[in-house]
Amino acid sequence: MNRPARALSQGFWTCLGCRLLVKVPRNVSSCLCPRCGAHVHGRVDGSIMLTWALTITGALLLIPANILPVMTVIYLGSGEPSTIVGGTLELYHNGLWGIALIVFVASVAVPVMKLVGLVILCLIVQLRLEVSPRQAMRIYRVVNAIGRWSLLDLFMISILVALVDMGAIAEVAAGAGSTAFATVVVVTMFAVQAFDPRLIWDVYEEKMAADVKNNNAQGEERV
Amino acid sequence: MEQDSGQDTEQHRQREPQSGRPHLWKRACHQCDLLLTRAHAPVGQRLICPCCGATLHRNMERSVAHTAALSLSGLLLFIPSATLPLLEFSLFSFGAENTLLNGVRALFASGYVWLASIVLFCSVLAPLGKFLLLAFISWGSGWASMAKPVARALRWYHHLQEWGMLDVYMLGILVALVKMSDLGKMTVEPGLYCFVAMMVISSAATVSFDAETVWARLARRTAGKKNGDPEAAQ
Repeated sequence: MNRPARALSQGFWTCLGCRLLVKVPRNVSSCLCPRCGAHVHGRVDGSIMLTWALTITGALLLIPANILPVMTVIYLGSGEPSTIVGGTLELYHNGLWGIALIVFVASVAVPVMKLVGLVILCLIVQLRLEVSPRQAMRIYRVVNAIGRWSLLDLFMISILVALVDMGAIAEVAAGAGSTAFATVVVVTMFAVQAFDPRLIWDVYEEKMAADVKNNNAQGEERV
Repeated sequence: MEQDSGQDTEQHRQREPQSGRPHLWKRACHQCDLLLTRAHAPVGQRLICPCCGATLHRNMERSVAHTAALSLSGLLLFIPSATLPLLEFSLFSFGAENTLLNGVRALFASGYVWLASIVLFCSVLAPLGKFLLLAFISWGSGWASMAKPVARALRWYHHLQEWGMLDVYMLGILVALVKMSDLGKMTVEPGLYCFVAMMVISSAATVSFDAETVWARLARRTAGKKNGDPEAAQ
């Protein structure tokens, strides 16, 4: 059976800056892209390690981000600081369930899904799990696409802080949780960037090669 | 289109004799590393990786001209969206306005420096930088002498692109609008219309831009300059 050729095994690297295919001589570990000048590697350097590090940082930061208040709305002198989940619940109780759903998806579901997705992707590569690479790619693409939307809540806070600023009557103040939450979003965005999806296919390729070898060995025994 | 993409294959052909095999490969999928021989989409079409389904190349019609036009209009729209108020909130004859920058300023003032810088970067600097870079790339790629700075701008654009979050900011405005509407009176100000237009133009610019076309254009200009061919160098 003829499997499609892949760049690394043929001695080619792809520049991730401009996607030029670069032919590299053996025993060279890194070079500069002749077209755009970026560093070119066969695979992203230390991809799995960096993704793990950033994912774990993100997961740890998610704790203060959810415990500490992100915003306080003071209206006529009274107001309780609210956390991310608390703010969503408040919206829901006020009957704004559509907005509550948007905020819930953007600031609760997306960060958690992103971290879970990243852990799954890292585990697939690290433990060489037998999964369909197309499914894994789907996870990667979803994680990549949803990442930026979790900044929604922070943008809303920055708008409200300037908008509702009337001294004693009404005021919106940011809370310490928002800093932690912002860091979670940025760190997880970097984590997705650090992850090299080609590693998923490397694992798959390895599995396929091993299978072919096994089949051949069995065939020879039978003969 | 084949002519346009001649540059990257040319470079490989020069090095090819060492490996002793005829050159075939033109591109590898950046997501699954599959090697492809015919790797340029015809004008107006997309090329999708047959193995993993990633979009490898989107070749828009008149890509450079459209990107130039869109980035210029984006820059023009940036001025009113950044200076005019987006929303106004009023309560018992007190009122306050929100512009793109005073939210950031208020956060800075209350000591949230890190949060303020993220908001500033994602909603102001990254979109502005994107328009500037695209304008520079589409304008500068016409001159051979600009090849180096344009190459650097292309690399920066590649990094900056996903940090521009005008659409997320827009949703943030909508959430703020609905959330505060039972507390006081919220009104939409002219700046918001400019902001929406800028957001639409920003996405249109992302779609119309094709790095491969720019690289091919640059390559043609440099080749024309070397050969002293004034036709190609223009």
